[in-house]
Amino acid sequence: MAATGRRPHGALEAEVLAALAAAAGPVSAAEVRRTLGRDLAHNTVQTILIRLLEKGAVQRRAEGRGHVYWPRHDEASRAAQRMRATLSGRPDRIAVLRQFAAGLDDDDARTLRALLARRPEQP
Amino acid sequence: MTVAVYLPAALSLVLVVVVRAAVRHTAPAAATRGVAVAAAAAALAYATCLALLALTLLDDLPPLSTMDDLGDLPRPVPGPVAAAAAALLAWGLWRLAGDVRLRRDTHRRLRAAGSPRAGGVVVADWDAPHAVAVPGRPGHVLVTTGLLRALDGRERRVVLAHERAHLRHRHDRLVAVAAAAAAVNPLLAPLRDTVAHQAERWADEEAAADVGDRALVARCVAKAALAAHRAPVLALGGTGVVERVRALGRPAPDGRATGLLGPHAVVLAMTAVTLVAAAEFAALAAAWLG
Repeated sequence: MAATGRRPHGALEAEVLAALAAAAGPVSAAEVRRTLGRDLAHNTVQTILIRLLEKGAVQRRAEGRGHVYWPRHDEASRAAQRMRATLSGRPDRIAVLRQFAAGLDDDDARTLRALLARRPEQP
Repeated sequence: MTVAVYLPAALSLVLVVVVRAAVRHTAPAAATRGVAVAAAAAALAYATCLALLALTLLDDLPPLSTMDDLGDLPRPVPGPVAAAAAALLAWGLWRLAGDVRLRRDTHRRLRAAGSPRAGGVVVADWDAPHAVAVPGRPGHVLVTTGLLRALDGRERRVVLAHERAHLRHRHDRLVAVAAAAAAVNPLLAPLRDTVAHQAERWADEEAAADVGDRALVARCVAKAALAAHRAPVLALGGTGVVERVRALGRPAPDGRATGLLGPHAVVLAMTAVTLVAAAEFAALAAAWLG
């Protein structure tokens, strides 16, 4: 089955895109590298950013000695609009999805907070 | 016709109980596949037996009804029972059509939210914390900034690996099969929920293997669920998050599927009684026509 799966390039591209989307504003390659939380060479991150730029997934502008990058806001807000229209007030539609952030009742939330508190935070 | 035709409905309840015990001793991948197949087979047996019961109504139709007056036709099933079976079957098929339509419609709308330019991921700029696997060829991950911002870099990697596991193993199909079975036979609804839960466990295990850190995946699942809890716009209760976190706190399950022998035995019994019922119906039809 040819899925988006194991290709390391695709996985790294997704991680970099996610890091850019989570950032408060445009960020440099060095900042992206820091927020990825894994051991990657600066050049690797730079290469991925260039590839994302070529594919039209991110935008950049010169700043200081290098560039800062940010995701395409137009597509992200259009995606949000359509996603919201599909899911808002439609628990039946949400129920058919494989969804990561599943809902909780208050008891479950208390239990989870206790479990989180018991686990040592990673450095 | 004897009692055989009624047994699949009763055995559905047995199957639900047996599956509940069996999945505790089975790795998530084997459990997801095995229970989905068991649910499908059970629904097929149930629907077949309802159809056989409903078909006994045919003796009230011309030209058979004219022969009825002769008084020598076997009447195997009381009319109201046959009518109830027909109604149950129609209701099940109606629910099945609704479930298929809802699934298709939801996936089509989410695909329309955007196509990935790179990395098989579409980001939606929305505060509600969501990450979903949008099935297709090859399918992609749709994730909101609300979720990405609630997590750190390593946790974002977990979410992406988890959703990619759903896509890679086509969990949407296995879950759709179990949901279809539960639509046809509502007694099987617990199996649909089991398959959905085991698919999440399966993706959690793949993500843990991917990042090489079970505790990290556990923390990530818990954090994402708590973020969804704080912003309960779209929250959906009771999806086993606590059990997922607890399971990740235990050692990785091994790949044995022997735990599913119980459910397989029940499904085999359902198939056997369905064949008996079909043979009895065939004998009956031969009597009608003969």
